[in-house]
Amino acid sequence: MELKMSNLTKKFRDMTAVRNVSYTMTAGVYGLLGINGAGKTTLMRMLCTLLKPTGGSITWDGEDIFEMDGEYRKILGYLPQDFGYYPDFTVYDYLMYIASIKGVRPAAARQQIKLLLDQVGMKKAAKRKMKKLSGGMKRRVGIAQAMLGDPKILILDEPTAGLDPNERIRFRNLISELAGERLVLFSTHIVSDIEYIANEILLMQGGEIKASGTAEELLSAMPEEVWSLEVEKKEIERYMRNYKVSNVKTIPGGAVLRLISSEKPSSRAVREEATLEDLFLDYFGERAGENDDEI
Amino acid sequence: MMRYEVKKVFSRTSSKIAVLVLFLVMGVTCFFALDISYVDEEGNTQKGLDAVSKLKAAQKEWAGELDEEKISQVIAENRRIRTSPEALAQDITQNEIAYSRGQGIKEIRELLNCAYAKGFREYDYYRADSLTEEMAADFYKNRTALLKEWLEGEAKDQFSDKEKQYLIERYESLKTPFYYDYMAGWVQLFEFAPTIVMISMLILCYLVSGVFSNEFAWKSDAVFFSSEYGRNRAVLAKIKAGLCIVTAVYFAIFFVYTGIMLLYLGADGWNLQVQSSMAGWKYFYHITNLKKYLVIGAGGYIGCLFLSFLSMFVSARTKSTVMAMIAPVMVLFLPSFVGNIKSPVVNKILGLLPDQLLQAGNALNFFNLYSIGGKIVGEIPVIIVLYAVLTAALLPALYRTYQKAV
Repeated sequence: MELKMSNLTKKFRDMTAVRNVSYTMTAGVYGLLGINGAGKTTLMRMLCTLLKPTGGSITWDGEDIFEMDGEYRKILGYLPQDFGYYPDFTVYDYLMYIASIKGVRPAAARQQIKLLLDQVGMKKAAKRKMKKLSGGMKRRVGIAQAMLGDPKILILDEPTAGLDPNERIRFRNLISELAGERLVLFSTHIVSDIEYIANEILLMQGGEIKASGTAEELLSAMPEEVWSLEVEKKEIERYMRNYKVSNVKTIPGGAVLRLISSEKPSSRAVREEATLEDLFLDYFGERAGENDDEI
Repeated sequence: MMRYEVKKVFSRTSSKIAVLVLFLVMGVTCFFALDISYVDEEGNTQKGLDAVSKLKAAQKEWAGELDEEKISQVIAENRRIRTSPEALAQDITQNEIAYSRGQGIKEIRELLNCAYAKGFREYDYYRADSLTEEMAADFYKNRTALLKEWLEGEAKDQFSDKEKQYLIERYESLKTPFYYDYMAGWVQLFEFAPTIVMISMLILCYLVSGVFSNEFAWKSDAVFFSSEYGRNRAVLAKIKAGLCIVTAVYFAIFFVYTGIMLLYLGADGWNLQVQSSMAGWKYFYHITNLKKYLVIGAGGYIGCLFLSFLSMFVSARTKSTVMAMIAPVMVLFLPSFVGNIKSPVVNKILGLLPDQLLQAGNALNFFNLYSIGGKIVGEIPVIIVLYAVLTAALLPALYRTYQKAV
């Protein structure tokens, strides 16, 4: 079970969305972390054969996935970021239809749907029309459809986007539960999502994978260090201007800043243990996420 | 898979309304088409089933071969009615009484107006009134004579010599005398059939226009194309669903329309030559009413199928449901833009447009001829074969277009 990207590139006219990405994935949960516009969706759409690469290749156990055609898609489950559905279908009909285009036989589909609806907590809503579901419920149906056919590869594009904190936690747990022996790749720009469930994290920026590894590996390889420093109110702006500030906690007369710097910013600064949020800030900067044009 | 594709179409409220509108329009059309009246001996107009049965009885009295003797009798009877005191009176009721006596020969009288017209394209409602029994012998001869006169005069530049010869041969080879009988059911059915076929086409194009493009509109394309059958069997299922919807809805509406018309007015005259009614007098196709009905049904079906698949092709190509709905309407309105250009070549081109299939009954009346392999053929067989082939050719193009959609 090996999904391998070699020098994978995707250009849209004069813009390169994915640049020379080479990476190999086997069974496990992979978190693709990057700001909006980093190229996560383009990369995932190529992995789902929805976009053809401009250069490079993607192979599954050594075979080009575009040449494998239906054989590759047979082992694939995909939940797109902008999950679309048939508004007038009931949840059950929707899943039955998806099962049919995934080549699952009706009898097997009925059994799988029953189990999946139970797993995603949608059993009682099976007869409800898709258009009547809340955002969280639609996402749950989305993951159920991705799981139909028991795919070996599960690709989830921003599965927690737009969900409230409770739904997000529930969804994270669901992904962990469903992962099993599969290869799960999910993208997010929310650090806490990755922190809890990903075995391996891929940091994507400007169409490239800048770093990858387990959370511990990435944090230990972080080029800068994390400091906490209590400052007066008038000093806050100066520190904000000169350092990457991952957190500002206001206290009477000033604030406690969490700074990322390779040098000790002040003799009063105390070294802290880095978190994934610090890492995210270190890689993507404070303005991360401001550009919402998804690529 | 196909069942769900059909369900996608009919689960939309707008689709259900569209089908309802189609049946409502058919109902209204039937209401007008069944508006047959009969005038009784006292000059009172009757409507409804009773009127239909009385009219049928009156016309059946004249049923039989339209030979010289029968024509002569009709000429005499017509003159007797038209010169009666009731017909010449200034009182409308008296006129109606006179009219009531001529209802049995009304259709034959119209044939006389055609046969003895001053020109091939002339029509004079009172022409039958000026005929004498001696003229009865010319009834069938005149049909061909008027055609020849027209081909040598007004239409001399419209046809090649070979085409002229073909038309004359068709006219001369028509078996005469015609058999006459009551056939109001078929006449009314034919008259309103283009309305039914046209509205069916518009509704069908609306129904199937989103079969492909809605995947993009609903943003369900990513899941669709990343599934095992998303680029093969599922695309085929969409095409099959389109075919199934067009076929089922078209024939449902067409057969319901036929059923209502023929159950109410009667199917008598199914085996009569179309030339034995005024509408078919000039046809050069040797067909019966039943064959004309089949031509209208088949032509309409192929026309609806072609335009629906064109709509689906545009839907797959542009990913726009609006464009998919506009495309067939544009094709239909094309003849309106070039219709004013009077030229044999333009006529031949216009004769090949799909709108002709939707009004195949009217197209039977057109003298559009085509030379295929040195053989002259009328417009109807050409467009039926042409659009059957074009529709078949659209299928792989449609499949490939959507299969490769990104």
